[in-house]
Amino acid sequence: MADEPDSSVLPHAVVTRKKRLRISIIWIIPVLAALVAIGIFIQRIRSEGPTVTIVMKDATGIEAGKTFIRYKDVRIGLVSAVELSEDYTKVLVKAKIAKHAAGLMVADAKFWVVEPRISLSGISGLNTLLSGNYIGFQAGKSSDSQTLFFALDEAPIITDEPGRQFVLKTPTLGSLGVGTPIYYRRLNVGQVTGYTLAPDGQSVDVSIFVHAPYDKYVTTSTRFWNVSGVNITLGADGVNVRTESIAALLAGGVAFDVPEFATGDSKPAPAKSEFTLYRYRAIAMKEPDPVERRYVLYFNESVRGLSIGAPVNLFGLQVGEVTDVGLAYDPKTTVFRPRVIITFYPDRLVSALPTGQRTRTGKSMAQMSPEERIRLLRRIVEEQGLRAQLRTGSLITGELYVAFEYFPDAPKVKVDWSQDPLELPVVPGSLASIEAKLGSILTKIDKMPLDAIGRDVRTALASLDQTLKDANLLVNRVDTQWVPEGTKTLEELRRAIADANQVVKNADTTLFSKDSPAPQDLRDTLQEITRAARSIRVLVDYLERHPDALLRGKPTEKP
Amino acid sequence: MSARLTAARAGLVSCEACQLLSRPASAESPGYCRRCGEKLEFRRPASIETTWALVIAAAICYIPANALPVFTTITLGEEEPDTILSGVAFLYSSGSWPLALIVLIASVMIPLGKLIALAYLLITVQRGSIANHKERTRLYRIVEFIGRWSMLDVFVAAFTVALVQLQPLTSVEPGAGVLFFAAVVVITMLAAEAFDPRLIWDAADRQQAPLG
Repeated sequence: MADEPDSSVLPHAVVTRKKRLRISIIWIIPVLAALVAIGIFIQRIRSEGPTVTIVMKDATGIEAGKTFIRYKDVRIGLVSAVELSEDYTKVLVKAKIAKHAAGLMVADAKFWVVEPRISLSGISGLNTLLSGNYIGFQAGKSSDSQTLFFALDEAPIITDEPGRQFVLKTPTLGSLGVGTPIYYRRLNVGQVTGYTLAPDGQSVDVSIFVHAPYDKYVTTSTRFWNVSGVNITLGADGVNVRTESIAALLAGGVAFDVPEFATGDSKPAPAKSEFTLYRYRAIAMKEPDPVERRYVLYFNESVRGLSIGAPVNLFGLQVGEVTDVGLAYDPKTTVFRPRVIITFYPDRLVSALPTGQRTRTGKSMAQMSPEERIRLLRRIVEEQGLRAQLRTGSLITGELYVAFEYFPDAPKVKVDWSQDPLELPVVPGSLASIEAKLGSILTKIDKMPLDAIGRDVRTALASLDQTLKDANLLVNRVDTQWVPEGTKTLEELRRAIADANQVVKNADTTLFSKDSPAPQDLRDTLQEITRAARSIRVLVDYLERHPDALLRGKPTEKP
Repeated sequence: MSARLTAARAGLVSCEACQLLSRPASAESPGYCRRCGEKLEFRRPASIETTWALVIAAAICYIPANALPVFTTITLGEEEPDTILSGVAFLYSSGSWPLALIVLIASVMIPLGKLIALAYLLITVQRGSIANHKERTRLYRIVEFIGRWSMLDVFVAAFTVALVQLQPLTSVEPGAGVLFFAAVVVITMLAAEAFDPRLIWDAADRQQAPLG
């Protein structure tokens, strides 16, 4: 029965009653899935912070979904959209800020684009080479939250590090730039953070930041100066090259210090206080001269090479400087004369004295009345002969300076002690006196009897000529007279030799005649000579083989 | 077409495990198979309800599976989360469109197609539709067969995460999306399993019964 199953053969199933659930338990799965999914989405939404809009000039290197906003290298947001503003002039970058950073979005928070920047003073943003640009962020202090921000063009160098900001006033920016280092005793303690032209356009305000703890060394009496480049001074002690560091040499720098005379005054300067930026250290550290007196000098020589600021020396010590160089015209005598106004700092004279004397002299000089002062000056000038003189400071550049020195031999002068500023007497400068000396030398040369000397020289030359002629004559005579004489002598000599020859021949015949005993003797002699000759040959042979024997002798036979 | 005799119509029940045809203990609860002990059912119990539940669960999971990152690539400290679709877009934009197509089909279209197919089968069965039985059965077979291949993405993610650990240069970390994706695949497979294809024909039989 293959086709029709026999129902009776089939077994009966076992019955077990089971209560059916009205809703299948399987619905837990979708509910669970929904709960998990909803949970994740809720967490997502909850973790999402505000969306801010950053207005930028352009969106260089900014991509939606790729560019992050970083604060202290922590990602606090992600750019979600980059679009143009309604008037197409700006770029609106919309960014989602993480929930934990939502509190940072306050009114004075700052955004800027970080891109790799390579300058002489360093390389920054190098990590962006790999990661792409990102948006930097600086927290603000305000408590008003905000969602619209304007991006900065450049990163603010200093963020929220401890330290203080100062402003330096300088006529030109020079080689300073954002990031230029600030040095204190050659330590890099800060940097230039920015610069703006002063409102009047006459100077540049350079804002600098000095990191803590170095900022406390900036006091009210601190001086700032530029250390850009190299400072080469050529002095009596050789060439002196000063530079702050190689970086400063290339990229410029600013240094500061407290001048020695003001070290006692060490009140830290308040933040944002203004300072003057001096050109170099020497100017910056120069002590201000509280007392200055002006005198006028009329010279009778050229003042070419005398510039404003040229030193005024007293016995080689600088006590003042030239403040004006001009021309004076005396209508009565119709004479033009160069007029030099000098400023004299008496305090410098005092400070050059030993300590004990300094206070006493300083006090007495300070207490001096104008009449007393003039009396003192009068005595120095009229009795001791103090005079001003122009001197050459450098032979190469021709720089002049004013020197005061005693010239007891100087002619007496009349000084009008009542005028102000006082006119002080001068003596011709060293250059002028050299000129005068040269002039007198030239005059002397001029006075020399050059014509007479010339004549004498000519006669001397003539006599020399005569002498030479005589010498020539002598040589001629030798030629003509002594040489034939010599020939004759030679002739006679030849004749004498011929005679001698004749004598020898005669002797021959005499010696070798048959009956004379001479032949026997001669034969013996010849034998002797032959023997001698043989010995000589042996000797010569030996010498030929041992030429050193001549010097060392025959070596003894070795056994 | 003559009326076919089916086990259900004959009041018999076939064991799903050993195919032994048994007489049910009662119409409500057919009991257990005498030979293998399997629970006997005329039709898979609450098949439509279960399948619906699973399909809905899979549909819910499908959304975060595509919205959340499947894995996060960390290259030199820069994290880059990738969803399935952004991966497809990346593959396509980087020129390897065949690969993009494979991922798109295997990871996006197949799960979605499965969900839609199952929903379609469920609706037609519930409405007692009598059309296209064969096509629907074929569709069911395809859904059942294709299900296992959808795990491709999960495997790829697992392999990538395990292999690409070139610390500190590059590393890949799994994202929440891959869990949801795996859930979608598993749940749709379960849903396909829960669906009883015999239901497709039941409606036809019901319709045909008076005729036959």
